Amino acid sequence: MSKKAFEIQFNWIFVLVAGAIILLFFTLIVVKQKSVSETSTKATILKGIEAIIIGASVTQDTTKIENIPSANIEIGCGRVSIDGVSKQYQNLILFAPGLLKGDKLAWQTTAFSAPYRATNLLYMTSPNVRYIIIGNNNLVKEINKSLPFDLKVEFYQNYQNIQIKDLNNYKVRFIVFGDMIDFPQELKRMPDFDVTAININPNAQKGAINFYEKKENSWTLKGTSSYIGQSSIVGAVYTDTLETYHCNMQNAFLRLALVTRIQTDRLEKLKNIISSRNNCAEIYSAALPLLKSISSFSSKLAESSKLEISDINSLADASKKLSDINKEAQKYSCTLIY
Amino acid sequence: MSKRTQIQIGETIAVLFVFFILIVIGFMFYARVIKSNIEVEKEELSQLRSVGIAQRVMFMPEVQCSENNLIIDNCIDILKLESAQNIMNENNIYYFDLLEFSDVSIYQIYPTEASWNIYSKKMEDFKNKFVTNVPISLYDPVTRKHGFGVLKIETLSK
Repeated sequence: MSKKAFEIQFNWIFVLVAGAIILLFFTLIVVKQKSVSETSTKATILKGIEAIIIGASVTQDTTKIENIPSANIEIGCGRVSIDGVSKQYQNLILFAPGLLKGDKLAWQTTAFSAPYRATNLLYMTSPNVRYIIIGNNNLVKEINKSLPFDLKVEFYQNYQNIQIKDLNNYKVRFIVFGDMIDFPQELKRMPDFDVTAININPNAQKGAINFYEKKENSWTLKGTSSYIGQSSIVGAVYTDTLETYHCNMQNAFLRLALVTRIQTDRLEKLKNIISSRNNCAEIYSAALPLLKSISSFSSKLAESSKLEISDINSLADASKKLSDINKEAQKYSCTLIY
Repeated sequence: MSKRTQIQIGETIAVLFVFFILIVIGFMFYARVIKSNIEVEKEELSQLRSVGIAQRVMFMPEVQCSENNLIIDNCIDILKLESAQNIMNENNIYYFDLLEFSDVSIYQIYPTEASWNIYSKKMEDFKNKFVTNVPISLYDPVTRKHGFGVLKIETLSK
């Protein structure tokens, strides 16, 4: 090879190597910047959800639709994650479907009271989830009214002769009061875990909830749980798995147990101090065993692996009696129990 | 290789070297701006967390006043305070999820002076400390009279 030809070749190789290094350098920067930007977006969404969670603990009966960057938010028991970036909470009460998709987030809060407020329940969903409510009583109407206006909610008083078509929603949730319906065949092509249902025995105060999931072209029962009060039914409406519903209810009962211990101590002090006013002392004496009963059943429910209907019934009964006694205290102008 | 070619390659290397130096300087400047932005954001986040904790304390059913389950804003029931103090200490891990590293105290100013520390979880090597004072009404269910006090929330962060 002549000296000139070697020089030209060397020049080309040099340009090639230098160009490759420059290209590699900028490619690396772009890739790094992309991943930083993605992580930053996920962190922003998580921060937004965190703000909602804080806000939910201080406001009740609030409903809001938030615009968020488009993302897939996974919600589990005490965990919120967005494509690998996740935040753990020890006692989070957040009723939501397992996956929230889209650029909008609907959330609402209600107080969990039995009979006094123990905590706020936070519900979250995506307006892309389709809710189909079936039933014909006042409780159904109340539940339908309580859901945010922007959600895709269909309400049928009677299911007969109604065709449920596939409207390309990523999740469909049936809320059936009374007898369970047959599986709508038009939805058989959807993935099994995206079509779920709950079946509720209509009783406003307490009762059982059956959780169903699609299996090929029929329903399969995933398990049974219980509810106490309308706020926990709404929780079951939003949550698509029995496990998440159970975990959230356990956290709510744990908080109720803690608040009840404080209410019990308060009432004991009140009873000891106001012993001169006979009516009040009697009322407080009658209320104390009920508070202890609420404390023991809520602790039991917080720790048990299943929300037993018998425990829920006992808790609801004690709660109702305490509510009556509180009215009695008001009648005799005593300091109220709660 | 001829001397001219060697000089040309040397020139190219020098240009590349200067180019990369300029890029590195640019990146150092960019990183510094980003770092200062992160610091500002971190401080904002700490302040937000502090306000969040203050709000949470104000709305905790453990201390809040209620009348027939109707919540009275900015009011704390003094008969609940002692047992709230004990229960929050016993269940420190549970309440840490809500109140994080903070110190929550209530000072009664009127009619008599008194104080309660209901929650305290401190970190030794904290960087920032935010103090939020909230004027509150202190309700005594025995006398059924309202006093006046301050809720002091100190939040610590690294």
